[in-house]
Amino acid sequence: MIRLKTRLALFNLLSKLVFTALFLLFLPWIIERINLRQVDNDLIQKREQVIGLIGRIGIDPFMTSDTTETFGSYNILKEEFISLEKILIPDDLNYIEVTNRLIEEEEISYRVLNYTITVDGQKYLLEIGKSLASIQTARRNIYKVIIAFLGIIVLITFLTDLQYTRLLLRPLEKITNKLKGISDPSSFDNTPVKTTTSDFYSLDHALRDLMKNIGELFEKEKEITDNVSHELLTPISVLRSKLENLLLREDIKPEITAKIEESLKTLHRLQTLVNSLLLIARIESRQYLREDTFYVNQVLREIITEINPVAEDKGITLEEDLEHDFQYKGANRSLIFSMFYNVINNAVKNTPSGGRVTIKSLFLHNRFDVIISDNGKGMSPEKIDKLFSRFKSRMGSHEDGTGIGLAIANTIADFHEIIISVTSQVDKGTSFSFIFP
Amino acid sequence: MNILIVEDENSLANEIALFLRSENFLCDIALTGNEASEKIAVNLYDFVLLDLGLPDYDGLDLIKEARKAGSEASFIIITARGAVEDKVKGLDIGADDYIAKPFALIELLSRINAVARRKFNIISQDIKLGEFVMQIQSRKLYCMGNEVDLTKKEYDLLQYLALNREKVLTRQQLYEHIWGNILDDQYDSNFIDVHIKNVRKKLNLHAPTPWLETARGIGYRITLNL
Repeated sequence: MIRLKTRLALFNLLSKLVFTALFLLFLPWIIERINLRQVDNDLIQKREQVIGLIGRIGIDPFMTSDTTETFGSYNILKEEFISLEKILIPDDLNYIEVTNRLIEEEEISYRVLNYTITVDGQKYLLEIGKSLASIQTARRNIYKVIIAFLGIIVLITFLTDLQYTRLLLRPLEKITNKLKGISDPSSFDNTPVKTTTSDFYSLDHALRDLMKNIGELFEKEKEITDNVSHELLTPISVLRSKLENLLLREDIKPEITAKIEESLKTLHRLQTLVNSLLLIARIESRQYLREDTFYVNQVLREIITEINPVAEDKGITLEEDLEHDFQYKGANRSLIFSMFYNVINNAVKNTPSGGRVTIKSLFLHNRFDVIISDNGKGMSPEKIDKLFSRFKSRMGSHEDGTGIGLAIANTIADFHEIIISVTSQVDKGTSFSFIFP
Repeated sequence: MNILIVEDENSLANEIALFLRSENFLCDIALTGNEASEKIAVNLYDFVLLDLGLPDYDGLDLIKEARKAGSEASFIIITARGAVEDKVKGLDIGADDYIAKPFALIELLSRINAVARRKFNIISQDIKLGEFVMQIQSRKLYCMGNEVDLTKKEYDLLQYLALNREKVLTRQQLYEHIWGNILDDQYDSNFIDVHIKNVRKKLNLHAPTPWLETARGIGYRITLNL
């Protein structure tokens, strides 16, 4: 991903370079045109001077020799020459061309003006030439100056543009920074971003309104779960205290003690169920923070230590295959603990004595992956579909638990953007895979 | 010790008071925040058990008020709101502990005792369990000078039973105390049975453990007056 600021600057630079390159491509031609026009004007001016001179002193001083019908003159460096020649062509000539002339065994490229003048009925061809070598030197110099000048201009405008876009886009940058790393609306900084650009102003305004609304909704939801929590748990607490106090009395018969104990167990079931539902509601309304950094394998090892005594007692081997580790940032450690705990515990519950539960961590396609598999009784495809829904997983007759452990695991995974997938074969076993973001 | 129970649910307040009185505490009850505020201002309490869900008062304000007035009472927050923030805020303001509803009365008692030990700098006495000696300070168990190798959870379990000796602790109470952070949906959990079995196995290598009793169908108890 490229930042907007960089994109604009790159485009800016590129367009400037393209235009400059095009200009430089045509520059020689342009300079040539300008130079030729200059030379031509020069030649025409000289022609007028010569015609003027002939008008004043006549043609004879040029045609001193009788033997030749031609007059020629050039300066020492052969930069210019003038020649007059009697001709018999009836047409009047008047054109300028580039030709090569041989002067003292040296071929030089000239811009030559050809012009026919008539003196006393006799036609003469006047040729005035100017060497192109001098023009070429001038052209090269001009070329250099222009390139240097353009280079400086491109650099200066590029830098000022860069600075300006940076200044212009600063509010946008502030807005995106405010949004970066926000997991819930309460951590959104609601101070308005200073800007004179109306687009950014409306963007910021809309965003702040939106965040405020979502924040209020979250707050309301939190209040509801808090109140529901209080309303549901207080009566359970009252009942529990009453039953526990009863149990402490010494004048109670053993059969009544047993009944009280039964009631306490049932109450505990209710308590666990209510707490589980509240936990799911709290996770879904984002009341948990994701601020912990920890290694996933460490959590898995803790859980294995916790569950191992029970697994051993049941005759189940907990196999640990934690080759690769992953440092998980921005997560809630105790929730991740609960997620894996529920799934591993579930696997141990559903595996018969002599079975095996394997906990494996690895990198698959560059993503960290935890696989919890057992060789227990497995599940039919219909059952897998209903596995994570809150109350549907109580299907088998031998199952215990409120069936909510996996629903909790699923909610926690969603909250952390962890993908859970399940594969299972009846009588072969089940495998849960957790793909980390 | 003097305890003020601040709880708007009358019957719960009464049950807590009944239990704590049987443990030789002096209990006072306040059903509203205002009543609590007055009582704290007038009486000297060692402990205030404070329900945060009072209808007329923000429980956290009550702690601030008491601290400003120079009260040295230790606050234990009781709440059913379960919000993590409340817990953090409460402990920040100066509450000494935090317990979530519904709690076991025995758990509340052991929290009070723990805070009291801290507050009055009581050095826990070693507990003699038959041939075994439990050193609370170093969290180690010895048998005739030899250290008994126990896992952290196994030790916790045994210590909780030892600190509450002569009382039957239900599996649920033991489970909540030790795995309180885990929401387990297996209410018929045999976790505790497995751990007790392991503890017995390890201890019996050193000496017999008749003092660790199973209360049929209910739970476990450490009895020293055999």
